[in-house]
Amino acid sequence: MGERTRQALPSVLSVLLSLLVCWMLIAFSRDMDGMATATAAYLQMLWGGVGDWPRFLDGAPATVLTRPLGEAAMKAALLTLTGLSVAVAFKVGLFNIGAQGQMLLGALAAAVVGAHLALPGALHIPAALLAAALAGGAWAGIAGALKLYRGVHEVISTIMLNWVAVRLVDNWLVVGPLRGVAEAGASITGTAEIHPTATLPRLLGDMSRLNLGFVIAALAAVAVWAWLTRTRSGFETRAVGLGDEAARAAGIPVARRAGLAMALAGALAGLAGAVLVLGTEGRYPGTLGAPYGFDGIAIALIGNNHPLGVGAAALFFGVLRAGGTRMQLLDVHKSFPELIQGLALLFVAGRLIWLAALRRRSAPKPATAAPPAPAAQVPHA
Amino acid sequence: MSLDIREGELLAVVGENGAGKSSLMNVLYGLYHPDSGEVSVGGKSVRLKSPRDAIALGIGMVHQHFMLVPTLTVAENVVLGREPTRRGLFDWERAVKEVAATCERFGFVLDPRARVDTLTVGSQQKVEIVKALHRGARVLILDEPTAVLTPQEADELARVMRGLVAQGRTVVLISHKLKEVLGVADRIAVMRRGRLVAEVRPSETSATALAALMVGESQRAVMSNAAATPEEKLASEALLEAVGFPAQGDNARPALRVGEKPPGDVLLEATGLQALGDNGRPALRVGEKPAGDLLLEATGLQALGDNGCPALRGVDLTVREGEIVGIAGVDGNGQRELAEVLTGLRSLTAGSGTLLGRPLKGLTPAEARARGVGHVPEDRLRRAVVKALSVEENIALGRHSGPPFAKGMWIDFAGRRERAQALLAAYDVRPPEPTLPLQALSGGNQQKVVVARELDARPRLLVVVQPTRGLDIGAVTQVHARLREARAQGTGVVLVSLDLEEVLALADRVYVLFEGRVTGQFTRPEYDERELGRRMLGAEQAHG
Amino acid sequence: MLEILHRLLFATLDAAPALVFAALGAVLSERAGVVAVGVEGMMRVGAFCAAVAALVMPTPAAVGIGMLAGAALAAVHGFLCIRWRSDQVVSGIALNLVALAGGTFLLETHFGPNGTPPIQQLQPLHWPELASVPLLGALSGHAAPTYLALLLPLLLQGMLTRTPLGLRLRAVGDKPHAVATLGLSVPALRWGAVLGGGLLAGLGGAVLSTTVLDRFEQHTPAGLGFMALAAMVFGRWTPLGAFAAAAFFAFGNALRIGLASSAPGLLDVVPQGVLLALPYLLTLLVLTFQGQRNSTPASLGVPYEQESR
Repeated sequence: MGERTRQALPSVLSVLLSLLVCWMLIAFSRDMDGMATATAAYLQMLWGGVGDWPRFLDGAPATVLTRPLGEAAMKAALLTLTGLSVAVAFKVGLFNIGAQGQMLLGALAAAVVGAHLALPGALHIPAALLAAALAGGAWAGIAGALKLYRGVHEVISTIMLNWVAVRLVDNWLVVGPLRGVAEAGASITGTAEIHPTATLPRLLGDMSRLNLGFVIAALAAVAVWAWLTRTRSGFETRAVGLGDEAARAAGIPVARRAGLAMALAGALAGLAGAVLVLGTEGRYPGTLGAPYGFDGIAIALIGNNHPLGVGAAALFFGVLRAGGTRMQLLDVHKSFPELIQGLALLFVAGRLIWLAALRRRSAPKPATAAPPAPAAQVPHA
Repeated sequence: MSLDIREGELLAVVGENGAGKSSLMNVLYGLYHPDSGEVSVGGKSVRLKSPRDAIALGIGMVHQHFMLVPTLTVAENVVLGREPTRRGLFDWERAVKEVAATCERFGFVLDPRARVDTLTVGSQQKVEIVKALHRGARVLILDEPTAVLTPQEADELARVMRGLVAQGRTVVLISHKLKEVLGVADRIAVMRRGRLVAEVRPSETSATALAALMVGESQRAVMSNAAATPEEKLASEALLEAVGFPAQGDNARPALRVGEKPPGDVLLEATGLQALGDNGRPALRVGEKPAGDLLLEATGLQALGDNGCPALRGVDLTVREGEIVGIAGVDGNGQRELAEVLTGLRSLTAGSGTLLGRPLKGLTPAEARARGVGHVPEDRLRRAVVKALSVEENIALGRHSGPPFAKGMWIDFAGRRERAQALLAAYDVRPPEPTLPLQALSGGNQQKVVVARELDARPRLLVVVQPTRGLDIGAVTQVHARLREARAQGTGVVLVSLDLEEVLALADRVYVLFEGRVTGQFTRPEYDERELGRRMLGAEQAHG
Repeated sequence: MLEILHRLLFATLDAAPALVFAALGAVLSERAGVVAVGVEGMMRVGAFCAAVAALVMPTPAAVGIGMLAGAALAAVHGFLCIRWRSDQVVSGIALNLVALAGGTFLLETHFGPNGTPPIQQLQPLHWPELASVPLLGALSGHAAPTYLALLLPLLLQGMLTRTPLGLRLRAVGDKPHAVATLGLSVPALRWGAVLGGGLLAGLGGAVLSTTVLDRFEQHTPAGLGFMALAAMVFGRWTPLGAFAAAAFFAFGNALRIGLASSAPGLLDVVPQGVLLALPYLLTLLVLTFQGQRNSTPASLGVPYEQESR
């Protein structure tokens, strides 16, 4: 069994097990035809995510494919960005639970720049994206600075910063100073509508909501991967994450690497907020309900903190979650894919159990490498 | 293997690092479970599932790394697990009284109310012993108890152990220090590679003979192969001579002429070296090389320790090209901090110095490396290597910004692989697989990787701390040989070691540190171990 | 003035218990060295199960079911973290996500989006002799959990500092290997603390459904579990400290609600959102200025590896 396979297998098995458990959950909660319903619901979820191929083959227009695929791709884009945010922080040895708060601030910054600055199209989108990345990066930077200068554990500080962000943005800024006023003078929920110049262009026109955000997320995943594996500073970042004292002794500027990685993590989460606002919502809505930041933790861990693994996990769950809406046809709530995702994370958390089980199966071959250490260490450092 | 422990005796178990001493004792204490075989106590076969069973049978153990809760008091640590209670509540006053009584009964001076993290290392060890005795231990196992003590503290511990035996208790002493074992034990069991190879009485043996038993046949072959330089070859030949005829131990001794020092495990080849010098081969005599340029000159160095208290309180130090400067001292007297100051890992609070031409103040690890300081740190897995990275990535660590490891901002994969393979071959690292995660290598091979990396950078000053701790003798020999080789090429080496014998064997000059100050300075021919020991305890002026 | 203070105190005492129980649960678990990020999830299952159980049984018994549900989730945490030495933060977060999504799924499947049907709340207890005393009168008229929330911190503090068990729990959070060499079982002590923490967190959730509300709502406990973590940190990992912090947060919240109704003008100066963010901001400030090292259990979050072969 190759090292790569050995690394990926627990995640794959966890997802499969989670799918099975959730299938049984539907199957056994129905009085009649549980199994048939569960299977049908799963099929609906699939067609809702990858496109309704049966209908397309029966001659339906191509939009039955492009619409669901576009939805899935946009969900995957958001999950990729928040997942990368968590993964990048993990690589430098920090547990970024704060992607949610960073995403919130990024969304707000993008909404403000998108609505209140008048710029030509070629500049407006980059400006809004940059503002979002800076806002998210700065918010994460607080946690980074607290960790580096005051020894405050990032798990605690990012949890606190999440709630500070939620309260300040949703309960104050968006309903107060930054609240948008609609044309007729009637007030609307959330911030003002962004200018068309700041809207992320749709890639397939009216055929789907797929927009530039997906490209941004895909590029981000590849760029993070190349940075971590191919460059000097990426190597330094990984070395700091796997052994910060050794990295310090080797002359690597540990604080700078950790601070920059945390800021990058925040910037990626901030970009997720921007993609949400500039691509889908058109403004900062009354409340940014979707907890993509928390989902990012699940995506990062299921993707084994590998940038490309994160992309794969995000695509998979993007498909499931886009398809979730179609499960309602069978009276399964649309949040069901989130349950699948949560359980998959729980099973991934039991990574050592999987590895032990796999080792037992391949018992004649002695396992050489020790199990990978859990990525984060908690409060006493 | 099988071993009998008799009541009321002081049994010493000696052997190389990794010979299985500690594993054996952990089996006796119920921490490890034997794959096969059995343990009998008082003639009855018993199963030790956990330390609880061992304690119930009257077996107590003092671990090499203390098992004390630093935030609790002495009394709380001692009674933990069998706390006195009053109406269901923990009776602190009674705990203090009980512990005080136990201390008095066995003649220990300890304040039961003191918090453990305020105590000295020696006192903490006493707490450990009291902890075992308080639980009614009839058999007390001490694992390498003197590793962290001064010679004087070790002497006191020896008295304590004899006292316990006089009271009818049994003491099992695990050690690899032959001299101390010969002085205190009733009976000595020698282990090698997980086997009991001999049981002897001190009166019937000598340190040389014990050493031969410990090292065994196969290891000697490794050693002679590992010795690289001609100097080293000769040294190990002398060693082979010495240990090859254990029956003639007493005859071999004068040839070696090591004074009071029996050849302990880690200094076998080193004592051999000195013998050659004494045999009148001037070419090999150490210390006759002309003194090189000054690499480091420091005065009044002061720095804080991890706990925020002063760890260095004014250290003066010089290091020249082509010499090995030893730093001796009891653990925790500023040696570690001194090494960290020299490598830029710890900042100075006062004092000044010149390191390789530029000021010592404000030195960072990156700056130190740029000036040509190499560093083999004490805690390998924490500070020298990143165990989850591959061997080649670890070889690049610290030098990853330049050729052959990087081209501009990109990693140079081909150059890195080539250099890694060359070094793995030159240092005989096994297996020579650059892509393996470092943690898949044995400790000795990991250390070879570290030494290879540091010496490959051609440092002008090399700071090594405890370079051979926990290594098998083959690796020890190679590391020592490489250090001598570096010296021969003009590198100045600062050697910090808690093992006084290692320092004396390798160093041309020795500084003794006590409580962050230099309390003694010795140059090679005038080494006097007792006097060094006194200085390690802080006696400053007495020496004329 | 006195009247206002009385009303504030009364509101605080009504709202605080859930937060207090959850914070105490977190303290218990973390003092033994196991990270309690999953407290939010444990509260959620506690709240859900209590609300559902109360449909078919007396409410006090339903609260017990809620506690058991919290402990059941904690058992999963223990299985992953103690038995399998998994990352404790990952496990806690996973439990939170599962409880969040699972709660929604079960609620939607069986009851619909408006929460479970209303249940009989726990009955308030009246102390007529107190009711007439100024301020102290605010103590009268609460349900049983309020009084338990006043008593339990003292008991837990006493347990941690004055009993053999407390000594062992503190030792196992600071240096588990020392405890193991004395023949005590590290896993057993940690299991006890984690399950106890789960019971308390479940109780906190159950209290939300049975006294503060009369049903399980879609968003329960809406981040209260994280505020409990804030209270634990703010209270320096001691039961009394966590209680004081939780009571302080609850009082601040009562004050905010009181201001919103009585002096809305003031909220133009200090917006509600800022007040809502205050507990978290204060916790961050405390951490910033006091540092975290001295009061955090030394082995918190470090999986214990038994030295056995």
